[in-house]
Amino acid sequence: MLGLALRSLRKRASAFAASFLAMLLGATMVMGFASMLDTAEGSGATGAARETLTTMATVVGGWGLLLVVFAVASTLTLSVRQRAAEMALLKSAGATPGQLARMIVGEAAGLALVAALAAIAPAIAAGRALLGLLHDTGQVPAEVGYHFGPAALSIGIGVTLVSAVAAALIAARRAVRGRAAESMAAAAADDARLSKKRIVFAALFLLAAASEAIVTVTVMDGSSDAMATSGQADIFAGIGLALLAPAIVRRAAALAAGPLRALGGAAGDLAAATMRRRTGALASAVTPVVLFVGTAVGTLYLQATENAAMDAAGLAKTPEDKSIETLNFVVIGMVVLFTAIMLVNTLIAATAHRGREFGQTRLAGATPRQVLTAVALESAVLTVTGVVLGTVASVFTIVPFGLARRDSAVPDGDVRTYAAVVALAAVLTGLTAFGATRRTIRVPAVEAALR
Amino acid sequence: MFGRNRAAAAAQAPGEALRLEDVRKVYGAEGNRVVALDGVSLSLPAGSFTAVMGPSGSGKSTLLQCAAGLDRPTAGRVFVDGAELSGGGEAALTRFRRQRIGFVFQQFNLLPTLDVLQNAVLPLKLAGRRVDRSRARAVLERVGLGDRLHHLPAELSGGQQQRVAIARALITRPRVVFADEPTGALDTRSARDVLELLRESVREYGQTVVMVTHDPVAASFAGSVLYLADGRIVGHQAAPTAEAVAERMTRLADEVERQRATAGV
Repeated sequence: MLGLALRSLRKRASAFAASFLAMLLGATMVMGFASMLDTAEGSGATGAARETLTTMATVVGGWGLLLVVFAVASTLTLSVRQRAAEMALLKSAGATPGQLARMIVGEAAGLALVAALAAIAPAIAAGRALLGLLHDTGQVPAEVGYHFGPAALSIGIGVTLVSAVAAALIAARRAVRGRAAESMAAAAADDARLSKKRIVFAALFLLAAASEAIVTVTVMDGSSDAMATSGQADIFAGIGLALLAPAIVRRAAALAAGPLRALGGAAGDLAAATMRRRTGALASAVTPVVLFVGTAVGTLYLQATENAAMDAAGLAKTPEDKSIETLNFVVIGMVVLFTAIMLVNTLIAATAHRGREFGQTRLAGATPRQVLTAVALESAVLTVTGVVLGTVASVFTIVPFGLARRDSAVPDGDVRTYAAVVALAAVLTGLTAFGATRRTIRVPAVEAALR
Repeated sequence: MFGRNRAAAAAQAPGEALRLEDVRKVYGAEGNRVVALDGVSLSLPAGSFTAVMGPSGSGKSTLLQCAAGLDRPTAGRVFVDGAELSGGGEAALTRFRRQRIGFVFQQFNLLPTLDVLQNAVLPLKLAGRRVDRSRARAVLERVGLGDRLHHLPAELSGGQQQRVAIARALITRPRVVFADEPTGALDTRSARDVLELLRESVREYGQTVVMVTHDPVAASFAGSVLYLADGRIVGHQAAPTAEAVAERMTRLADEVERQRATAGV
């Protein structure tokens, strides 16, 4: 089965591109931040500098880790789901569920190892840049030199491998369940139902977000430390909502069906009918939009509120405040980059997989423009759903922090910031879906449909 | 209609549904060319049921794709119901097809996300034509799927899926229905049902059907058989029986073998 896994990896490199990129980026992030531990150790930094470096590695690195596990799990699940027919074929050829699971996990582990090794060079660059930032803001004295060593390597490779294998196990369990004939049939329709486990995890994440929000308002009231607790609430809430995405997307698709049918013509009709049955794939695509909007909006307004609070108190920013602000923007940049790549990859993988469906639609009489319009309408519903959920997630951060710092639930900051984040999400989703679809329908309809 | 070629329409024999004039299709670049169709001319009357047969590689699928507007011939002209299949982009080709042509494929090609009724009326919707639901129901009833309107394709057997595909092809009232190995993925009994349906659409509704097949039994349901070898039409047989078709095919295969041997291919 390991041989099969390796061959499958080699022959279908493109199918694994999304997972690989998520792992590569994740490994770079985790390794880059973990190298702060090596730097603290190697340069013999002491006192505040050492503490800053360690905090950097653990807090921010931990934040990233959460994203990595989630991104890898979602891309891997997608790639396994796309190969449902292949899995069914293997099953009918006599592969046992155990063998299939080993194949999927083997693929993921192989991929993770390559990704982690490839991440070493970019991680060193990222680590250097991070230390440079700390030097510039005066948080760490300039004589502390950069070191990259065992901590970065072991944490980076270990975390990537463990999260990939864990994600693969989740994906594999779902794929190998059921009989061969059933999975052949199930491969055609994709309406993911919420498993009990998913609901439990979603509830846990939402509870975590709620508890951070409550702690912010009660314990941290009035203090600048409120940032530490409220900063993570949006990402917890975002993950919780993303876990519930299949159910939410089904509702959203049902809600959108009426307007789509009324306004979108034949393409709207097609989009409405298709979305109802593709909730699993749509939910995977909504996830990065939720995380993107939730964390970006949450953190940007958090910082704006903090700045306003400082101004109101007539306080000048200390170097530490400045470095926290910079750090907030670094984290935002990281999260935005990460979720953007995740979004683009998820959409490209999902669209490429629809080549046959597009071919069949065209054989039934759809012009290329009608196919593109249907996809554009789907992306619009997807973006709106993602933005709404993301906004809800960001509220978990913004409102408690506003109450704690300014005694106001309404955040400070420019409404244009929100508009910009939403526009970026819409443009990313729209352009990617449009580009990927146009590439897919360039293949003649017959060829695509009969593949 | 805008796409209609008046000169051709005037020259068209009355009651002609499909005409090919010296159609050639060449694949590949200079030096590595494969001639799939080598000057095919034919004329099929409206209301005829024609089977196209030939050994594999004879060009029968290419013939169907060129005649049905799925592919463009390298040279020659194609007329469907008097309208010439002419230049224009993919969108123009699509509009040409959806106004005149219905398809039935070996792999059914139903959209997995749509239920039976939605699949059947999809071509009408995409063409922006009024969807007559009661007629759609009647046609689906006719093919024996009246009680499965809201099933997904994955919940149907192969034979049932193919019957949905036939209903879909008939609902638009196309000038010509092209069927590419429609029974290739079916068991004997389902295959017979599907062929009966096609024959009935010809007899009762005057539908024109062109079917590519390699199965002599399937061909025997047609009113006539065209034989294709090496991209040329090499024979015609009216009122075929399965035995006669099978015998002819065996001879044809031998002949092609001999010709290829003498040509030194």
